[in-house]
Amino acid sequence: MGVSIFGLAWRSLMNRKVSAFLTIFAIALSVALFLGVEKARNAAKDGFDNTISGTELIVGAPSGQINLLLYSVFRLGNATAEISWPTYEAIAARNDVAWAVPISLGDNHRGYRVLGTTQSYFEHYKYGQRQSLAFAEGEMFDDLFDAVIGSEVAKQLGYEVETPLIITHGLGAGGLTDHDNRPFRVVGVLRPTGTPVDQTIHVSLEAITAIHVGWETGARNPLADNIPEETIRGFNLTPRTVTAVFIGLKNRATVLRTRRDLNTNMTEPLLAIIPGQALAELWQVMSTAERVLLAVSAFVIAVGLVSILTSILTSLNERRREMSILRATGARPSHIMTLLIAEAAVLGFMGAVLGAILIQIIFAVAAPILSAQYGVALMGTGPGLVDAYTIGAVTLAALFLGIWPAITALRRSLADGLTVKV
Amino acid sequence: MTQPIVSLSDLSFAWPGQPPVLDVKAFELNRGERLFLRGPSGSGKSTLLGLIAGVLEANSGAVHVLDQDLTELSGGQRDRVRADHLGVIFQMFNLVPYLSVVQNVVLPCRFSKRRLGEVQAAGGAEAEAKRLLARLGLSDEGLLSRNVTELSVGQQQRVAAARALIGNPALIIADEPTSALDADSRDRFIQLLSDEAQKTDAALLFVSHDGALAPLFDRAIDLAEINHAASIMEQA
Repeated sequence: MGVSIFGLAWRSLMNRKVSAFLTIFAIALSVALFLGVEKARNAAKDGFDNTISGTELIVGAPSGQINLLLYSVFRLGNATAEISWPTYEAIAARNDVAWAVPISLGDNHRGYRVLGTTQSYFEHYKYGQRQSLAFAEGEMFDDLFDAVIGSEVAKQLGYEVETPLIITHGLGAGGLTDHDNRPFRVVGVLRPTGTPVDQTIHVSLEAITAIHVGWETGARNPLADNIPEETIRGFNLTPRTVTAVFIGLKNRATVLRTRRDLNTNMTEPLLAIIPGQALAELWQVMSTAERVLLAVSAFVIAVGLVSILTSILTSLNERRREMSILRATGARPSHIMTLLIAEAAVLGFMGAVLGAILIQIIFAVAAPILSAQYGVALMGTGPGLVDAYTIGAVTLAALFLGIWPAITALRRSLADGLTVKV
Repeated sequence: MTQPIVSLSDLSFAWPGQPPVLDVKAFELNRGERLFLRGPSGSGKSTLLGLIAGVLEANSGAVHVLDQDLTELSGGQRDRVRADHLGVIFQMFNLVPYLSVVQNVVLPCRFSKRRLGEVQAAGGAEAEAKRLLARLGLSDEGLLSRNVTELSVGQQQRVAAARALIGNPALIIADEPTSALDADSRDRFIQLLSDEAQKTDAALLFVSHDGALAPLFDRAIDLAEINHAASIMEQA
């Protein structure tokens, strides 16, 4: 029978399509911004916390704990100094240390960092909820010039097992500084982890030493090219230094004591950090900015909500007659109130839903780009409770704001009586 | 003797801070009666209708509509009397622009259970709306599906008449409903409205400044005869 009050509100809005759509769009953009910031920040935090687990300590040359974390785990920036091989051996030989995995960074292949390490890396490096690295294809490096690549490297460069690759010296682009006299061959491709491992090319520590034969001065010595591969294989390829060491302890409870020991009682100055603690500190640095962003986006939602008020209040003048028609046909004040509050709520609800959809589209488009460019895997950005809460809160806020135009319209319609002074 | 459907006694009304515009000692409208109330613009006609419709409150006196004194009812109760028993037709722009012709006609059934019950007994709101529209000469499906703002003024007034009549209200009040119509459609409109009101035994209170319409009704009154408000006397 006829049209409900809600139907009236809807038809009335559709009668002012342009204004209604613009208002909905304003809300949608503000909600998308808010949800985007909220989701990105949670995803970033999760991604962060999940980057490394099961490693109790990371040891490097003294710098800052965030710096050490950034280059050893996130492959961001450079180590200012390295630690010597004997020191690594001393650490690995400690009674409280269960395992110690050395890593050596410094070269790249087409923008992807090359990490020299030992086979034990694949056994001990854990991410997320103590998940181990797994092979999608192939196996661990075994021969000197074998390489194991992360999933993103394989995907972006189209590499698979048996693909040859040339490592470039340092972090710059290829060309003159290519180690093109020592080509590698892919022997394994890792499964995706959502961590910087996906962007990494893993080779043995000995390989790192081998490709730098003839680079002792920091630049290429052309004569070194003439050294045959067999001769190089015959060299002692034990590295002189490593960049950092990942450590697992026999007993987690000794972590603080071991750290203090490493920081103070070694022959060489060292910095040992607890990854979780460093992650928390790094997160705190970022969280100030992230909280400011969140506050700004919340204010943008408030601006969006005000646009609902503007749109409904400005419509009231031209709708005086509509209100008195409704009153004359029997609408009670509660009907008029409900009509206008429903209009505000509909605008808020539709805007919020559209905003939630919009941010999903944006993430769907942006995720592959972020992942390829920055190695940031945005996980858990799909529709969730936060969307439901935001939609609910925005609708409720719009509903309360709708009381204002509702009261204005009601006062006028009561004063107008049956005749409208147009 | 039956009770009159509308009965005013010692009624006085003034807009806030202004001299009274209405001062009516006695006025009665009988059940089923079609009454013409003549008055120039600004004579307080619309105010009188607002009081009878219960959207305005009298300062003093009594306004009896269907045996209830509106002055003793709350705003909500007056709204209910209006929703249940009154049909209202304005001078123009009677229709809600975003509703279809039929949706406009059935609007009162949304606000009144009594009227909804009546139309459901008669075969449903929509069927009843279409029946009334057909009686008023609006049966063309193409016309009914048009946007109400695209209808001619005459057609709009007939839609408004159908809306006032739906659900058998006891009283139809019409405020200058024909002033925007030409002479031909004006007479036809009044005839149709009058016939339909008679069929459902509804009283019709028709207000206009145009005294020439008086012969089309059972009875005619000049508002100046019953309204003793000083401000109006001065104007006249």
